[in-house]
Amino acid sequence: MKPENLLELQDVRTHFPLTKGTLFPRLTGHVKAVDGVTLDLKRGEVLGLVGESGCGKSTLGRTIIKLIRATSGQISLSHEAQGGVQMIFQDPYSSLNPRMTVFDTLAEPMLVNGFATRATVAVKVAELMHTVGLAPRFMRKYPHEFSGGQRQRIAIARALALKPRILIADEPVSALDVSIQAQILNLLASLRKRLGLSIIFISHDLSVIRHLSDRVAVMYLGKIVELGSTAEIFAKPQHPYTRALLSAIPLPDPDLERNRERVILAGDAPSPINPPSGCAFHPRCAYATFQCSQRQPVLARQGTSETRVACINL
Amino acid sequence: MQAQAKALLQQIKPTRAPRYDEDHGTSLWADAWLKLSRNRLALLGLLTITFMTVVAILTPWLAPYSYDAQDLNLGALPPSGAHWLGTDTLGRDLLTRIMYGGRVSLMVGFLATAVSLIIGVLWGTIAGYFGGRIDALMMRTVDVLYALPFMIFVILLMVVFGRNLVLLFLAIGAVEWLTMARIVRGQVTGLMKMEFIEAAISMGIPRSRIILRHLIPNVLGPVIVYTTLTIPQVMLLEAFLSFLGLGVQPPMSSWGLLMSTGVESMEEFPWLMIFPGLVLALTLFSLNFLGDGLRDALDPKSAKE
Repeated sequence: MKPENLLELQDVRTHFPLTKGTLFPRLTGHVKAVDGVTLDLKRGEVLGLVGESGCGKSTLGRTIIKLIRATSGQISLSHEAQGGVQMIFQDPYSSLNPRMTVFDTLAEPMLVNGFATRATVAVKVAELMHTVGLAPRFMRKYPHEFSGGQRQRIAIARALALKPRILIADEPVSALDVSIQAQILNLLASLRKRLGLSIIFISHDLSVIRHLSDRVAVMYLGKIVELGSTAEIFAKPQHPYTRALLSAIPLPDPDLERNRERVILAGDAPSPINPPSGCAFHPRCAYATFQCSQRQPVLARQGTSETRVACINL
Repeated sequence: MQAQAKALLQQIKPTRAPRYDEDHGTSLWADAWLKLSRNRLALLGLLTITFMTVVAILTPWLAPYSYDAQDLNLGALPPSGAHWLGTDTLGRDLLTRIMYGGRVSLMVGFLATAVSLIIGVLWGTIAGYFGGRIDALMMRTVDVLYALPFMIFVILLMVVFGRNLVLLFLAIGAVEWLTMARIVRGQVTGLMKMEFIEAAISMGIPRSRIILRHLIPNVLGPVIVYTTLTIPQVMLLEAFLSFLGLGVQPPMSSWGLLMSTGVESMEEFPWLMIFPGLVLALTLFSLNFLGDGLRDALDPKSAKE
């Protein structure tokens, strides 16, 4: 393991068996949600994980926190990250137990895991609430009495309760009003600085990724197709899929917006049950050649650039 | 002009709710209770049930006569000062018989429902929590039991073990838990997809705690509602069985038994059927109103978000 890395993934695959019949199931195939991901997370960085819905980014996050068992591959944490990985979920309306007060929600993981005793837990809950910008005097309230943004703060506080070094944020703002999104993003940015967190930020929103991330990994059908620094990827996207994604970001200047070059992707993303041969992107790629349907590209550096791309035509 | 505006402002000035406390939240339970207490019919039902239960418990001290005390000279008297609801054909006080009968009917209702509640909630929660093959196996078992004809099952039990009140509870409870298990299993299956369960799992909360603190409190709403609707079903079943002569044995009594003997002499002595019937109907109405009120009060769609 490289010394600057907190987390390393080595060829991680998460496949879900597809079966017919419940009592005597027969295997009919696999959903290859995550299909060979090699990735590292450096100390203190925010790694943006971007891709269309269904590309496997949420499954990858859930595999890292071991909510789902990886089918194969290795997930290793550095010694200092042994405190664990915690997750901030997408929907703050479903991620908080409606029958538990904020106090119960935050105290439970600390008590169960020995991070606090009955005597000290109230102080620790108050500290956590303060950290995420909630007034501790609301600790006896229930989730339904808070707004969406406040609920997401509670969910963030819970993720911090066990003092993790790594956070996985799974689309933490996509269920929120636009006006609230910026507040939560700024909170995450400031928490990262204050607590020295490393964050894997999962999103399909490129402008959010650009705002927050140091590096970006672009995912397509269970695989990483491009991985590099945010600046480089946004300035000079190399993979045709990344280019298509970036060309979909609207520009604030109306004149530029009118003449913006757009790459329209034909069709839907193919099914992860039966992915295309060779490069999974070739049926939708404007530059595809016969070779693309034959050879699986590997993530590799192209020329002098630091960015790694999985495309055989570069 | 300004004075007018001021007066208007005064009028629309928000008045504070009297019980409102800024720092203490209202739980969904407290909220449900508030809604229930605004529903008059449901509240009336709750009062009636409470009253019946208290009377049933205190019957040995409250009843004006003994349940088997006969005065053959006083056979089948209409209601009077000494016997408020009259006497039956054997000269026993009807009010006393109804009070003792209520003990049996209510006890069957509550105990059989409790049996079905415990089995049903555990069965459904386990099936829903583990899912997959365990779920399939457990729910197919429920399907098979559903298909058994209930009457044959009870008659068989009675024939093999003889007539026995405890057996009656068990027989009824053993049938009623099936629906409860299905309801709970459906709820739990839905809850398992909620992110707060995933969060609890990922934070190392033990399985038993997830079931007790995260799953069961969230399925309790529909369970409570179904329970209040099961009690009348069970009481009707008991009445039906007693009516067929499979339930409670004389000289003990239940509302069902009183009605069935009342029916025999309905033309000459109508009060022998009418009074037990009225009491049973009142209880069933009350439980149904309470159940309806609880369903509205606990409905997540009407809960404030």
